[in-house]
Amino acid sequence: MCALPKHLRPRWRYLAVEIEREPDASLDRRAFQRALWKAARELLGDPGSADCDLTVMRFRFDETGERGEVIVRVRREEREEGRAALACVSDVGGGPVGIHVRGTSGTIRACEERHLGGRPDSGTETSVPFAGADRPAREQGSGRVDIHVDEQWVGATTLDVETETPDREGRE
Amino acid sequence: MTEADRDIFYEAVSAHSDSRSTAARLALTAREQGYGGIVLRADPNEGTRLDSASPAEIADAYGIDVVESVEIRTDSPGSASGALGEHRSEHTLVILAGGTEEMNRFAAEEPRVDVLARPMARRGDVDHVIARAAARNGVRIEFDFSSVLRTSGGQRVRALADLRKLRELVEKYDVPYVMSAGAGSHLELRAPRELAAVGEAIGFSLEAVLEGLREWGRLAARNRDLQGGSFIEPGVRVGKHDEQF
Repeated sequence: MCALPKHLRPRWRYLAVEIEREPDASLDRRAFQRALWKAARELLGDPGSADCDLTVMRFRFDETGERGEVIVRVRREEREEGRAALACVSDVGGGPVGIHVRGTSGTIRACEERHLGGRPDSGTETSVPFAGADRPAREQGSGRVDIHVDEQWVGATTLDVETETPDREGRE
Repeated sequence: MTEADRDIFYEAVSAHSDSRSTAARLALTAREQGYGGIVLRADPNEGTRLDSASPAEIADAYGIDVVESVEIRTDSPGSASGALGEHRSEHTLVILAGGTEEMNRFAAEEPRVDVLARPMARRGDVDHVIARAAARNGVRIEFDFSSVLRTSGGQRVRALADLRKLRELVEKYDVPYVMSAGAGSHLELRAPRELAAVGEAIGFSLEAVLEGLREWGRLAARNRDLQGGSFIEPGVRVGKHDEQF
């Protein structure tokens, strides 16, 4: 089929999205796309979801990292609806995910250059004193620490672990 | 929305001891998403997951305003009243969790309460009497977006219907209100623009959602002023002696 003449092609906006997950959760492009479609259908209905036409264009997620960058395409006129649907993606493949739209641009390239690519984030395994014991943890960039406590991950920062002093542990 | 605007949005997050993120992590994430402050809701009986970092340390480290608050959760007005007397002077904000008609009415009629949280949760309902009382006493009613953001199906449909009813009453009686995503972990936080977009999709105006986020900050500033030493009564405060007189 012929490509449409330029003035008839749909106008797109590209949303630069940062996603965050728990350390041992699995997250891939297909699962994220499915979750996005589901969220859009549930919030906007079939017609609204079709209008938005949310599509994952780029998906960068380090295997060991907790934070990834995604570029999502949305029809320009429906960008606020697209943003709303994105905000309603609360878990992907059974694990909770955090979503933050960093910005929007008119082209994928501008989107990458302006809003993404700032943070190389692959966590390092470590062990930290927390809640009265040494616990396995994963340290991320900019002070984030995820700590494994009682079969669950607790989101913390270096502020929570560094100031742990013997006298505090003694009190507990 | 400009950069300067961002600092005035506040979000209230749950910082209970069973929360899956520490207060510091919530603050760090909120700052990145463009919030100027967070309100830590803590249950007086359980304590907070503050761990070793105090609100002041967190505020210093991440450049975000951290507001201490207490969220009273009880089903009897009697014990709520006792808890109010105990915590009112110690915390910047006092939030009362609604969820039954009895508690909603108690909160709306009690000027010492700053915010009536989740009035439509569980078996809760709000009518024109409660809305009018809340407006009269300056009790902020909370619009809680947690069900919109994190549930689906029938549960979400009921939550949306409740939000609509509450919105209509709040508009009709001009009740002050606050907005929140009801986040219990840093992964559940959403930025102001995202919440506004969700609000628009479910019938709120963009400005109404942002206004609800600003209201937390305004409320905190007002209470800090009242609790600071210089306030005596409306229009009267302790000031510096003016040389001219």
